[in-house]
Amino acid sequence: MKKEIGFLLNGERRTIEVSPSEILLEVLRDRLGLNSPKCGCDRGDCGTCSVMINGKTVRSCLVLAIEVEDQEVVTLEGIMQNGLTPLQESFLKHNSFQCGFCAPGVILSTTELLAKNPHPNKEEIQEAIAGNLCRCTGYSPIIDAVVDLVK
Amino acid sequence: MDDYKFIGKSSVRVDGKVKISGSAQFIDDLDFGPNLLFAEIVESKFAHAIINSIDTSEAEKIPGVVKIVTGKDFPFRFGLYMHDRYIFAQDRVRFVGEQVAAVIARDAVTAKAAAKLVKVDYTELTPVLSVEQALGDSPFLIHPDLKDYHHVPWFFPQTNSNVAHLRKVRNGNVEEAFADSDFVLDDVYTVPRYAHCALEVHGAVGLLDHSGRLTVWTASQSPHTQRHLFAEALAPLGFQHKDVRVITSFVGGGFGGKAGVSMEILGAALATKVKGNPVKILWSRAQEFYNTYQRQGVVARLKVGVKNDGTITALEHTLYWDAGAYVEYGANVVNAAGLSATGPYRIPNIKIDSFCVYTNLPPGGPYRGFGYSEFLFGLESHINELAKKIKMDPVELRKKNAIREGDRLTYGAKMNPNGLMEAIDKVAKEIEWGKKETSSDPNKVIGKGFSLFWKAPAMPPNASSSAFLKFNEDASLNILVSGMEIGQGYLTVLAQIAAEVLSVPVEKIRVETPDTDRNPYEWQTVASHVTWGCGNAVKQAAEDAREQIFDLIERANGKKREELYLDDECVRSKVEKDFSLPLKNFIISGIQKEDGTFRGGPVIGRGMFMPEFASALSDPETSQGGHPNVHYTVGAAAVKIEIDKQTGKVKIPKVVLAVDCGKALNPDLVNGQITGGILQGIATVLYEDMRFDDKGKLINANFSDYKIPTAMDIPDEVVPIIIEVAQPDGPYGARGMGEHTMIPAAPIIANAVEDALGIRIKSMPITAEKIALAVKNRGKD
Amino acid sequence: MAIENQYEYVKAKNLDEVVGLLQRFKNAVILSGGTDLVELLKTGAVHPDVVIDIKGLDFLKDIRLGNNILWIGAGVTFSELIDSEIINEHFPIIAEMSKTVASVGIRNRATMVGNICSAVPCMDSGPVLSVYKARIITDGQIGERQIPIEQWFVGNRKTALFKNEIVKGISIPVPDKKHSGCFVKLRRYSGEDLAQVNLAILAFDDYSFRITFGAVAPTPVRAMRIERLINRMKLVPELMEKAQQLVEDDIAPITDIRATKEYRLHMAKVMLERGLNAALDRLNGGGPAYGKSVI
Repeated sequence: MKKEIGFLLNGERRTIEVSPSEILLEVLRDRLGLNSPKCGCDRGDCGTCSVMINGKTVRSCLVLAIEVEDQEVVTLEGIMQNGLTPLQESFLKHNSFQCGFCAPGVILSTTELLAKNPHPNKEEIQEAIAGNLCRCTGYSPIIDAVVDLVK
Repeated sequence: MDDYKFIGKSSVRVDGKVKISGSAQFIDDLDFGPNLLFAEIVESKFAHAIINSIDTSEAEKIPGVVKIVTGKDFPFRFGLYMHDRYIFAQDRVRFVGEQVAAVIARDAVTAKAAAKLVKVDYTELTPVLSVEQALGDSPFLIHPDLKDYHHVPWFFPQTNSNVAHLRKVRNGNVEEAFADSDFVLDDVYTVPRYAHCALEVHGAVGLLDHSGRLTVWTASQSPHTQRHLFAEALAPLGFQHKDVRVITSFVGGGFGGKAGVSMEILGAALATKVKGNPVKILWSRAQEFYNTYQRQGVVARLKVGVKNDGTITALEHTLYWDAGAYVEYGANVVNAAGLSATGPYRIPNIKIDSFCVYTNLPPGGPYRGFGYSEFLFGLESHINELAKKIKMDPVELRKKNAIREGDRLTYGAKMNPNGLMEAIDKVAKEIEWGKKETSSDPNKVIGKGFSLFWKAPAMPPNASSSAFLKFNEDASLNILVSGMEIGQGYLTVLAQIAAEVLSVPVEKIRVETPDTDRNPYEWQTVASHVTWGCGNAVKQAAEDAREQIFDLIERANGKKREELYLDDECVRSKVEKDFSLPLKNFIISGIQKEDGTFRGGPVIGRGMFMPEFASALSDPETSQGGHPNVHYTVGAAAVKIEIDKQTGKVKIPKVVLAVDCGKALNPDLVNGQITGGILQGIATVLYEDMRFDDKGKLINANFSDYKIPTAMDIPDEVVPIIIEVAQPDGPYGARGMGEHTMIPAAPIIANAVEDALGIRIKSMPITAEKIALAVKNRGKD
Repeated sequence: MAIENQYEYVKAKNLDEVVGLLQRFKNAVILSGGTDLVELLKTGAVHPDVVIDIKGLDFLKDIRLGNNILWIGAGVTFSELIDSEIINEHFPIIAEMSKTVASVGIRNRATMVGNICSAVPCMDSGPVLSVYKARIITDGQIGERQIPIEQWFVGNRKTALFKNEIVKGISIPVPDKKHSGCFVKLRRYSGEDLAQVNLAILAFDDYSFRITFGAVAPTPVRAMRIERLINRMKLVPELMEKAQQLVEDDIAPITDIRATKEYRLHMAKVMLERGLNAALDRLNGGGPAYGKSVI
């Protein structure tokens, strides 16, 4: 039943044996030691488990690990290979996050947005993170940081 | 004016980088090695039933199952303010989802599968699902042994009833005052239950090692209180406090939900059954909804008298709280609300009854606002209705009766200095109060709503905070405290306080989340009190370190200590302009004398704070005497909304909130509390509520149907206003304001809806559906 | 939460392989986006013998327009629909609807075909496909079938798909008349949320209409009585009012956790009026931009 799969994880070719019932989020966290994707609801409602597959954010709690064979997976850890990104610096400057639990998912969603649309307006920013729930901030410090960065 | 270098500045959060880089470790990110066991609980299917027997034989046969634990293993009652709960249900279950047993297995899937095989035989009882039912004629008693329960001295259980506590407040003569009033308005307001919805669920990992040492890692606002309750609840197993250690990493949102002890007791208890193995229990999102503290629902009967000139003469406020199956924490919400149910008003005649009512719904407990949001919905709605009756502007009516410094509080003590009037005026100006606005869209109407708010920390009179502060070789420093960073920015503010005293920049100060073995005592991170309480302790610790530094310089360099001051990480002298000794030159290594010997040694500061003026003792019939609340934080808020009359949808072009935080130690973080808190509050009034079926089962235990606002559901503009009337006993004049930002949200919306449509909605939430149907059905009856 | 049940996983290389597996296994499920399926696997609501992943089948990724027929392959995600020039130019209502589905992270994965295969009553694709008279193209042992959309949905989470069949895609004829339309979704939140009621309208330049409601019954409901009343008529206020009255004849919603029956009925009327007005305005080159909610 188990199968060895290879995939690109944060730029590095990795191979791991997975069973078809394993969830990508759990494999990343429990077996590959990448803790930035979090489990907030385990059913795709909250966005804390966001990772990128082939450049697009997905809910890793709704992806089977075996599905990513030969795909490119990027977690928050993977976007910092040259240090904090300008987007992260802007979040830092704006004190955008409070508890920080939603931060990895929000950062990946906004990273995806900026790759596609380098100068989004406020509504586009809101739309891009509408699937990332945050209970602490009221979202405006997050939105402000992106607006400030792209202006 | 202030001449602070670090205080009052919007420093970047000290935990900013660790969070935006995804490096912050939360409970589920910690690694416990290959020996880690996983626990899954067996839950009650019924809201109220007798447990006849539990058959674990099938589950035990599953390979990988290590241990199965039931209520028989822990027949100990415990609780924070009242010992009314058990680690696992004993002879009966009292809410759907209550833990009846637990399966511990080598992996989570096995634990889950085996838990399904545990058979529990129940005799179902009639569930008590509302306060009306609980207080009705000869109700079924949910806790027949209530009279035997240990509780704090300021609780008054009513025996042979489902009333776990009744807080009565009496002053003046309400009957006479009502008779003398020009207008008396009597109404009922209802508020449902709510969920905190921190994005991180609760979790705990317990390890009892073979030496008898119990360590519990938790996602908690209250590590020391947890240690105390673990030690207390498990005392029959022989634990001393020193044997119990609670380690808390970053917490992914609290809002009160991770205060006290809820599911974490399971981590501690289960560890005692699998010695030598760490055991982890992590709630699912559904369990997070139905088996942690919920914000209690309330039915509030409110009667207020007023004179034609706007003077409020009397208030009678009866609050029936649906406190759920266990009230060990929730009863204090009931108590706090009862003591303050006048709102921030000067009312000479009062009669308040705040009933803590057991029901067969999940346990109520602390939630940001601690009862104040709930009663303020009715009270501030009522104020507007009174204003209408006497044809007075509702803001004028509020100003006329707003409490001022020195006014008598409900229990007889005096109101602290405050900037309530300034808040009212600034908010009114910002929202352009009195300016009527109309929409260009004929389907839409615009309304404005206003509300005052107040809240005091609800805590035992002897709740205390303490701090250690230790210098490193380079004069960077570590602060050890046990308050929790739950997102509010508390670590940053403490660093700013120490920075101010010691002239060490914030970037050179590390403040970490606690470990009860190493960090000094803190009661809990709740009640919006840690900036005030622990801030005082840190300030004292920093001053203690500074005095040690001056002592040393006096001793080793022969300088007069009163001439010394700290600046730019150096000791300087007011009289010798050239004297400047960098802290790093001596702070660990000491100062060398001419003979080669040294003076000094590592500087470690110590600070402690306890509000020694507070007392919870008072007359149970009137609540007079004592000084249960340390101070109140006050403010005002207003909103402008646009309602689509057909759809009922509410848009919020602008919301304004002014809070008197005494001194904004970090204005950016204060503003962050306002933008976040106001949205959490708006969510409770426009969208959220917990729905139970007729068997007491929560039917929206997920983020699809108990949904919190998204980034597309926020006000267009949030205007935070900081008022600074110093709190005399606060660090640099600061007092707490974290909870307060959500408290006025419900009444400002309710009042704006009424302003726009002339429809008074008296039950929360005020959803689009409720508004649309009210408009549609208007005039039909 | 890990999945308790074990199953085989096959990443299919061609359609024959899929058809063969569907034949061979009693309990086979097709995996594309997985945003519904993985949750069902976790809760145990679905416990297959084999999961057949069709994401490797490139031909299912097509959005193609030819011979006045639009083809949306089974692997096409909502994000791809939103980004497609073909869709935005020729089928803006599909784009308008797709933008209301969940949120980016779900839309990057979830497919329209998956949406209509899950067939939950509050799905957003159903009403739109209904007014476009889409056909669902399936394949299996018995060969290809083309199932008209009105025969596709047979109940709550039930479709006309046979157990051993796969949906290859959806074909939509380009309407032969000048037209416009509107998708209206009632939900509690502006961000990610499920529909309380949804509504798709196509308006043609001969003033005929196709109108379908969703989330008001187990399956999408074509509002035939309303269509008959207003087709080729000038939509004066009196007629609009009559049309709104007919809502109660055409649909019979229930009360559930998301809305009461009363609110659903009330809003269906409001949505009908606003949707019709927007569609007509758009037909004449005005009206709100596609994607801008009219409620």
